[in-house]
Amino acid sequence: MSASLTYAYFPGCVAQGACRELHLSTHELTQALGIKLVELKKASCCGSGTFKEDSWLLEDTVNARNIALAEQLNLPLLTHCSTCQGVIGRVDERLKEFHNSNPAYVQQVNHLLEQQGCSPYQGSTEVKHLLWALVSDYGLAEIQKRVTHKLSGLRCASFYGCYLLRAQKMLAFDDPYQPESMENLFRAIAATPVYYGGRAQCCGWPLSSYATTESFKMAGARIKDAIAAGADCLVTPCPLCHLNLDSRQPEVEKVIGEKLGLPVLHLPQLVALALGISPKKLGLDLHVVSTHPVLEKLGL
Amino acid sequence: MQVLFKVIRQNSNKSPWVQTYTIDVNPSSTILDCLNRIKWEQDGSLAFRKNCRNTICGSCSMRINGRSALACKENVAQELARLAAITEQRAEQTPGNFPAVEVPQPEPQSLPLPEITVAPMGNMPVLKDLVVDMAKFWGNLQAVEPYISTAARAIPEREFLQTPVERAKLDQTGNCILCGACYSECNAVEVSSEFVGPHALAKAYRTVVDSRDDATESRLEKSNQGIAGVWGCTRCFNCNTVCPMEVAPLDQINRMKGEILERQTETASRSVRHRKVMIDLVKQGGWIDERRFGLRVVGNNFRDLRGVLSLIPLGLRMLQRGKFPETFEPSPGTQEVRSLIESVQLLESASPSSMTETVSKSPTSFKAEPYDQLQPKFGWTPYAELTNGRFAMIGFVALLIQELLTRQDFFTWLGLW
Repeated sequence: MSASLTYAYFPGCVAQGACRELHLSTHELTQALGIKLVELKKASCCGSGTFKEDSWLLEDTVNARNIALAEQLNLPLLTHCSTCQGVIGRVDERLKEFHNSNPAYVQQVNHLLEQQGCSPYQGSTEVKHLLWALVSDYGLAEIQKRVTHKLSGLRCASFYGCYLLRAQKMLAFDDPYQPESMENLFRAIAATPVYYGGRAQCCGWPLSSYATTESFKMAGARIKDAIAAGADCLVTPCPLCHLNLDSRQPEVEKVIGEKLGLPVLHLPQLVALALGISPKKLGLDLHVVSTHPVLEKLGL
Repeated sequence: MQVLFKVIRQNSNKSPWVQTYTIDVNPSSTILDCLNRIKWEQDGSLAFRKNCRNTICGSCSMRINGRSALACKENVAQELARLAAITEQRAEQTPGNFPAVEVPQPEPQSLPLPEITVAPMGNMPVLKDLVVDMAKFWGNLQAVEPYISTAARAIPEREFLQTPVERAKLDQTGNCILCGACYSECNAVEVSSEFVGPHALAKAYRTVVDSRDDATESRLEKSNQGIAGVWGCTRCFNCNTVCPMEVAPLDQINRMKGEILERQTETASRSVRHRKVMIDLVKQGGWIDERRFGLRVVGNNFRDLRGVLSLIPLGLRMLQRGKFPETFEPSPGTQEVRSLIESVQLLESASPSSMTETVSKSPTSFKAEPYDQLQPKFGWTPYAELTNGRFAMIGFVALLIQELLTRQDFFTWLGLW
């Protein structure tokens, strides 16, 4: 770990809205680890993959602006959302490729940015997920040194989110089908990783506004899969997955006709628990599915 | 080298079982070479499809070490390197200070031989071993009419001419060899019997951009219907990741969505509204105000009462748990983002789409208006919407108070159930 890690923090929409507990827990965790976050106050929504459906230029330009905000600070961009990471990371990857193969396109993006008084995109930084920063920049051994409450006996099932695993082509961090970084992190805080089929698959969130039955069937299949593998909780680095798996779990139960009741934790909440931060500070009471069974198991 | 092949075998409706075969192979052998050797030398009953051996025919797709791929394209050395990288990541990044925790191994007592697991494709019923029934896959392809239409066109005297630029638009989708790998991994196919699948939609887009085709509008309309077409895709990226020919079906689905969005207005359907409202809300607040997103997309600005009602349990649940976003803080960069989006939209409306024919664009139905400039106006205006939204919030809170006081849910209180 370098002496002090500093990142340009991209909060995303959901952590400022329906999942404020993610925002809280990221702050608590990074503070406890001595990681400095400089919030990108002027940033904007990445589009969660839908801007591109309207226009690739729109997705590239809006996110080139987000990246350029981090570049201005000379810091890597950090997000705690798989979708934001995948979308902004892929734009960064595309524009870096285009620097050589299609410089006219990058010029067009920068021309649009400059016309509106925004800093141009340079391709001089990286777009990281909090998970990667913890595993790769901070280091699991360093995290382990700071563990005060081992999560021994807690069986954690990861739920990565598609964008974190498959949105980027060359700069992928994990194998798209057999990722290990979450599981390694679980082991570092003495929790037990639970391997199950759905951990690298979709939660159904993108369909939830208009094809609820299909979306909830998908979420239900993943949760059932994790329960069958013996999980005490799901842990996700994606607030959009959290919305479908936690906030909508009662509706998921109705669609699949089965009771589930599986708590879903945000990644920083889990790690922060191991560092001894109180559940209240981490917003563990702000979940639709009660996190009480997890806390009880941990004796908290 | 010696390799242990674990093959998931199955006889149609019976339960699958794992059969292992050890063979001595050259690391550069393809998985198909190995399966052929197994079949010819050890077990003639092992069933799998094969033909060209050269990544041309698309017959030999199957799940190799957890993801769909062509057996004739992947080879033993690459597969073992991929597995070794995963194992190494697990071993290297796991600190060893804590007492040993359960690390599941494929088989605790497994042989020291390197292993390769082969299974049939997903989302299709197994006929025998690695052979799946692809009838629905082909039926869904047929459903998008994957042929160039000629009905309304005068047949020229000689061949149809295309410029190199027009032809180049077909290159990526034209590479599809219909192997089924994308369909096998598609999460949307998993939950929807209607969704035609990534292979069919990539092919549909190929016909949409083909300069010789004259059924563009009806094709786009077909793909716009319900969740059988492009809106059934859940953007899991599996198709892009596993496609052995780099067709990138998800990218083609996105392009087709773009063509549809150009022609539709916000009121057309909830799926179209989802996309248009996203952009509009970002123009208005930089970030998404989820409350307004719900009311506009699902509730269609209170025009879809069933939609609005469907949000109530979610809203109440979130209020109850203290999760409901009571406030929204627009990004201080909103003005910049709004003008940036508008400049992109202006540029794109001046030179629409990648398609060859010029299509008259539907007029955009709304114009973003910043929060601080809202003026009282009648009709479906941002002002009215904000006011409606505030009334809805009062309604939500009133419901919650009523439920707290009566200890009954709203519908029980009304005596409706």
